[in-house]
Amino acid sequence: MKLTHISKIFFPNSLKEVKALVDINLTFEDGEFTTLSGESGSGKTTLLNIIGGLERPTSGSVFIDELELTALSDKQMADYRLRHIGFVFQAYNLISVLTVRENIGFIMKLLRYDEAKINKRIDELSGILQIEDILDKLPGQISGGQQQRVAVARAVASRPKLILADEPTANLDSKNGERLMKMLRSLNEKEHVTVIFASHDRYVLEQSKRIIVLEDGAVIEDR
Amino acid sequence: MYKIAFDLAWKSLIRRKTRTLMVIMMIALSLSGLLFLQGLYDGMVSHMINTSIRSDSGEISLYAKQYRLEKTIDYHIDDPRAIKAYLHQSKEIDAYAIRLSGEGLVATAHKSLGATLKGVRLEDERRFGDFDTFLFQGKFDFGPKKQEALIGFKLAEKLKVTTGNRLVFTAQDASGEINAISFRISGIIKSGNLAVDEGSVFVSIETMEQFLALPNSATQIALRIKDKSQVNSIQSMLQKKFSTLDVLRWDELYPLLIEMRDMMDIFNWLSYAIVFAVAALGIFGVILMSILERMREFSIMMAIGTPYKNIRYQVISEAFIMAIAGYIIGAILGLGFLVYTASSGIDLRYYQAGLESFGLNAILYADIRYHYFFQAFASVFFATSLSILWPLHVLKKIKPIEIIQGKML
Repeated sequence: MKLTHISKIFFPNSLKEVKALVDINLTFEDGEFTTLSGESGSGKTTLLNIIGGLERPTSGSVFIDELELTALSDKQMADYRLRHIGFVFQAYNLISVLTVRENIGFIMKLLRYDEAKINKRIDELSGILQIEDILDKLPGQISGGQQQRVAVARAVASRPKLILADEPTANLDSKNGERLMKMLRSLNEKEHVTVIFASHDRYVLEQSKRIIVLEDGAVIEDR
Repeated sequence: MYKIAFDLAWKSLIRRKTRTLMVIMMIALSLSGLLFLQGLYDGMVSHMINTSIRSDSGEISLYAKQYRLEKTIDYHIDDPRAIKAYLHQSKEIDAYAIRLSGEGLVATAHKSLGATLKGVRLEDERRFGDFDTFLFQGKFDFGPKKQEALIGFKLAEKLKVTTGNRLVFTAQDASGEINAISFRISGIIKSGNLAVDEGSVFVSIETMEQFLALPNSATQIALRIKDKSQVNSIQSMLQKKFSTLDVLRWDELYPLLIEMRDMMDIFNWLSYAIVFAVAALGIFGVILMSILERMREFSIMMAIGTPYKNIRYQVISEAFIMAIAGYIIGAILGLGFLVYTASSGIDLRYYQAGLESFGLNAILYADIRYHYFFQAFASVFFATSLSILWPLHVLKKIKPIEIIQGKML
């Protein structure tokens, strides 16, 4: 994945104008386990959103395997997200009326996987993420840590190329945060999925293979 | 795609029971109210039309030309036997009543009033319109010497007479002489037809023929038609056959009833529109709220790649599942109300005087017609469609990230 000259300006030409990203050029290889780091307002979430096709840059392009993501229509972009990107949000964001099992299988259902394949994958992931006992519960009936693990399961269930996780440990205590990172790391190694975080959590940074530090919308460090 | 959306809609409804039940009950109660009002209004009008037909006009009436304008026995039907013979063998005619009426003055020892003296055959009237069921007091009989009379209850009230009292009726006979005849009241009639109740005295037609010196004559021949949908064609056919007579339908004889029916239709539509607007606003509000409160959920669904189409189907499915459930429950409730009111009626005897002054029965009966249910279905369908337009518009406009961003930034 290649990002070329990405800039993002919110409320352009107004008093509220904010330059969130300034001429970002980055390349991500398959199977990376990378964290976008930086202080609040540094632009890491905005960059993550642009990589995930949730937001369009003011200028610049995102290429994934020769496909220019930024040139796609909203509908094509939604389809691309469905097929190739898994999201883990800070606030878990599960579908409240679906059980844990249904939440995990939701994207696979949209992709028309057959029922047996969906169930097999749910069983496999629930084992890895240790959520076998809560599969028939609704999101409102489980803890925050469990909800975040379900969100991870939903994100990886259809084996997307890329997982984008925005502050996935922010609402978790340190024990649950570490546990989640270990699981994501294990999924990254076992399933060779590319994972990009936006986080300033020390433990997330320790676990990352690559850290990109942003400040005032620009990359100041890439190690 | 539809299956997933429907499945999600179904689960959303089942797992948010309170909201779902609230919307369904709101639709059901509004709808049953609509059906009930519609049936009741129609029942009131039908009752008035029915009593007018049964107590007087039939579906069609035959008069001598000019009689309806002049109301004088100078314009009477001479020798109705030929007509009677024709009607007797006609397959379209269910029953007929031959009447000889005269305008005059009815008096007691203390009071006199203008009234119509109607010469009838009670057996014919019974067959014609179950006239005996209008008997409110006394007996349905003119006595052995045909010197007894039935009187409309309002006229009896005004004259302050009751059964057993005597009346004197004064009128001009066919030769121009002023004659008077005395009757004892055998019964009091309460038909719901103001013309009958307020201004009619019924006597035997034979007595009337003698009194008016008009043997073998009639002023009105009223007909009951077997197939009500054929009234217009039968009227045309009779008009051709009896071209010297006026052949008039009930609605031509009672134009006020048609005006009242039209007025009731307006009331009906007004009530319908008000209840419909309340129901539509209610459905709109609840569906809009249910979407607004789930905006974050829909945003997440869109963010993870759920096509807008899918979410639109989900919202439409949710709204229409609730609407159909509400319709079914509302239709069953409404039908229950209507069946009960059609058979037992609503007892408004407390307001009897007021209702009777409009020709209405103190016990109101509802009508039940198939079209109520089709109309109600169309209304619910329309209200639901309207209710989801705005929420869908709002959904289409949202940018998922803007909703999620509150947490993401």
